Amino acid sequence: MTLSRRHFLAAGSAIAAAGLTGCGSRSSLGGSHELSMWTWVGSVNDDLIGQAEKAIPGYDGMKLAMTRIGSNYKTKVLTALAGKSLVPDIVAINDDVATYFPNADQFYDLNELGAKDLEKDFLPWKWKWGVTPEGKMMAYPMDTGPTALFYRTDIFQKAGVDIDPAAVAGVAPDWDAYIALGKKLKQAVPGSAITDNITSIYGYRMAQQSKRYMTPDGQYLGDQDHVRQAFDLAVRVVKEGLSANAQNSSDKNAVVTNGKLVAFMGAVWWAQLGPKNAAPKTKGLWRVTAAPGGAGNKGGSFLAITKYCKNPKAAFAFISWLESAKNQAQAFLDPVLFPSTPASYTDPKLSAPDPFFGGQKIVDVFAESAKKYPGAYFSPYDTIIDTPISAELVNIEASGKDPDQAWADAQRQVERELTRAGAI
Amino acid sequence: MAVTSKTAPVVTTTTASTAEKPPNKYKQAFPQYAAVSPFFILFAIFGAFPVLFSIWISFHSWDGIGQMKWVGLEQYNYLLSDVTFWKTIGNTMIIWVLSTVPMLLLALVIANALHNATRLRTFYRIAYFIPNVTSVVAITLVFGSIFSNNFGLLNAFLRSIGVGEVQWLTSPWGIKIAIATIVTWRWVGYNAIIYLAGLQAISADVYEAAKVDGASPRQTFWRITVPMMRPVILFTAVTSTIGGLQIFTESRVLFGDTNNIGGPGDAGLTIVSYLYQSAFIKNQFGYGAAIGWALFILIVLFSIINWRLIGGNDDERLTRRAARRVERRIAAQNAKREAADVR
Amino acid sequence: MSVERIRTAVGHIVLMFGVLVSLFPFYWMVVMASNTTPDIFSYPPKLLIGSHLFENMGKVLDNIDFFGSMLLTLIASLGVTVLVLFFDSLAAFAFAKYEFPGRNLLFGLLLATFMIPAQLSLVPQFVTLAEFGWIGSLKALIIPGAANAFGIFWMRQYAKGAIPDELISAAKVDGAGFFRQYLTVGLPVLRPGLAFLGIFTFINVWNDYLWPLIVMTDPNRLTLQVALDQLNGIYGTDYSMVMAGALMSVIPLIGVFLIGARSFIADLAAGAMKF
Repeated sequence: MTLSRRHFLAAGSAIAAAGLTGCGSRSSLGGSHELSMWTWVGSVNDDLIGQAEKAIPGYDGMKLAMTRIGSNYKTKVLTALAGKSLVPDIVAINDDVATYFPNADQFYDLNELGAKDLEKDFLPWKWKWGVTPEGKMMAYPMDTGPTALFYRTDIFQKAGVDIDPAAVAGVAPDWDAYIALGKKLKQAVPGSAITDNITSIYGYRMAQQSKRYMTPDGQYLGDQDHVRQAFDLAVRVVKEGLSANAQNSSDKNAVVTNGKLVAFMGAVWWAQLGPKNAAPKTKGLWRVTAAPGGAGNKGGSFLAITKYCKNPKAAFAFISWLESAKNQAQAFLDPVLFPSTPASYTDPKLSAPDPFFGGQKIVDVFAESAKKYPGAYFSPYDTIIDTPISAELVNIEASGKDPDQAWADAQRQVERELTRAGAI
Repeated sequence: MAVTSKTAPVVTTTTASTAEKPPNKYKQAFPQYAAVSPFFILFAIFGAFPVLFSIWISFHSWDGIGQMKWVGLEQYNYLLSDVTFWKTIGNTMIIWVLSTVPMLLLALVIANALHNATRLRTFYRIAYFIPNVTSVVAITLVFGSIFSNNFGLLNAFLRSIGVGEVQWLTSPWGIKIAIATIVTWRWVGYNAIIYLAGLQAISADVYEAAKVDGASPRQTFWRITVPMMRPVILFTAVTSTIGGLQIFTESRVLFGDTNNIGGPGDAGLTIVSYLYQSAFIKNQFGYGAAIGWALFILIVLFSIINWRLIGGNDDERLTRRAARRVERRIAAQNAKREAADVR
Repeated sequence: MSVERIRTAVGHIVLMFGVLVSLFPFYWMVVMASNTTPDIFSYPPKLLIGSHLFENMGKVLDNIDFFGSMLLTLIASLGVTVLVLFFDSLAAFAFAKYEFPGRNLLFGLLLATFMIPAQLSLVPQFVTLAEFGWIGSLKALIIPGAANAFGIFWMRQYAKGAIPDELISAAKVDGAGFFRQYLTVGLPVLRPGLAFLGIFTFINVWNDYLWPLIVMTDPNRLTLQVALDQLNGIYGTDYSMVMAGALMSVIPLIGVFLIGARSFIADLAAGAMKF
């Protein structure tokens, strides 16, 4: 009897102790001389990260511990913040940076760490995106995402289209002409598509505009003409049979690999994530030119230092080094990230010909787009608004839903969500 | 101990029969309480408390990171008028029917064939059971490539025999069929093994009698086998109902690379996927908690239906079966001992 | 008699067809894992096993910490299994073989917990563990599952019939306490039941996906299932490598299963008959 009692008390107290000792601990990820950082695949230059993993330049005694996350990046960051332990010191944030603003208290104010002095080096619109309405500098600029038209010269030749970039831009200056060109391509090579799916067209059309879903003072714009026109354009491309209906990532890659996707309006980073990764055999066949409908920006990211960070000074030293004009120029070479520091644009690294694009100097195309991009306001509610609209677009493409019905349903859903979020 | 001391007085009558018990019977039963306590302690911390806590959370608007904001019944109000939520219930039911019906029918056919087969029995059983121990993630990846619109084996096959391609992973029915196929594939063998056990429990005399009466195999199957298997069939129906209401991994892995984990048109979004999506993708912890309660109510509802179908007093049946087992075991042991003695 | 023979043959044909359907996805997994991605994405697809298997497996090892994840999954699965076997069999032994005040009520309570779906408390469990500081650690995978109602119920049914009362009485006469009775009388008799519950628990923890997906937030410490999903997310472009990863994650468990398959299947069936 005594044996059993002693045993159980021991077991019981061990469990209780395990629970109590861990209780309330708030920790950041990694060892005490490591700065942990999370980002997604293809958002940094690996050589630079390799250097910092040995020792962070300009800050003695600290090194970087980098983790590249695949799908659902944002979910993982937010879950880690909610989990309150093992939160990374530094996180990358996408162009939906404003959706993090309600939780800006989870991050350091970078101005207090010396960001203020570096503002002049960056594109003004890009810098502004990382600052909260209260004036807190929450996120530091990484790359930008100027858009352009990517196309396969071999297919264009088969359709009898002049493959010179200037000529292609001339044939398809606007979306109407681009759709006509798409039809021509499809006639020459059956099965050809000019977009992977309907939401890509919508998203890239929206990325060309000077306004998005809300005004800075909180007025809803998502039901206005500029949104509806982008919506209708996407529907039109699908109705013309020019979309590959690839809704998940392996299908999206498959249509690049198997050559169904013969042209794509994409942001600069797609060069790597798309053809370079998924279709290495098409090396030399791709070119880029000015996109139909004008300049645009989609994606392009930021870095933020979480409040869990064990050494914010070292973290800031690292991010300001990584995003210096010189290093951003290097990130353009691999993995084709477009700098947010105008000083980089004159760096010879950017004007190097890219053999994947048949020796074309693709920087010219993207720099033009970046310069002309009008800059739009991103609100903290943009994701809430965009999700139902994109979902309804998918309904149209995947199951043939009536577009007017889809639009009405999307608007109703947006209104419900915004009401619940207290935005309207 | 808190649990036992609180509940003990209620049941003093149940132990009154043991006359020689000393007055401090609770103290004397300490080892037993200690033995059963780990489960109850863990349940209190990780089961009961979270259940109560989830009521509290569901009355709030909370992203899991910032401040909780009291909204009263607003989450439930939103839930009831949430088109997506009702859709997930519909999806879950459809997927459940699409998987359970063929699954149980096929299992019955296989079990019957297994019952009649005398050779290769162990091989069959293992071959049929392997899908069930295979990880859902890995196998969903495989089925994802079989059903893929653009490079799927199934579409390649349809194309080669001249039938048009089907947009499996983007059409509402295609998605549900794909998910149901994965579920069916994983569970047919499992259910067949259980049916086989049920078949083997039916006395051979019954079949002999049927044979004498001149019943055809088909008649024997439907008139004797199926009715006698009723309890086993209901058991598998109950377990597949509970499992079916909790389907998550298949749709999450098929469509997990987008934020829309239910696939195009949310056609594969199940109740649990929606819970996960709300709480951990959209960071609406309060709403996630409310969906959890809706799921709970559904499971209780189905459990009541199942319980009605089975009927009878469960505990009585259990004790009767246990008693029979003991008898059988003792008899077997005796027989063994006798055999040994003879030797 | 020939009718009988034809029926047997038809039965075997049906069964063999079923076996083919059961095993085909494994074959297809190997086909995809042993060909290159462009081969998989092309039409007509390759139907035979290719020669790139080891190359693809090598890529898996380069891209994710496969053995690290496997070790983590193994520790979690073994940890839960050992604790479950101990706690469940101990509780089942007490429930099955001893009278104590409140026993039936406690057992009823235990059965009632069956009704509560794990997903109901997904959100609050996460928040609770976050307050404990357990998110991201193995504790979050092991401790909450260390004892479960199913195992206790199942073992109790088993123990009731399997452990003769006379043996317990004899042990009592020898002056053995409860825990000693459990060790000397209960455990040896329960061993076959434990083998089943052990394999069952191990497989379930090994294959669990939703819970580790939520609580294992550190991308460098993922269970095999989540790591596999991660592999698919990052390198969806390299499908043959993802399939090689799937294959590698499936093989060890099937190995474990095959070792104990015969008695496991028999015990599972017997267990189901007891409900």
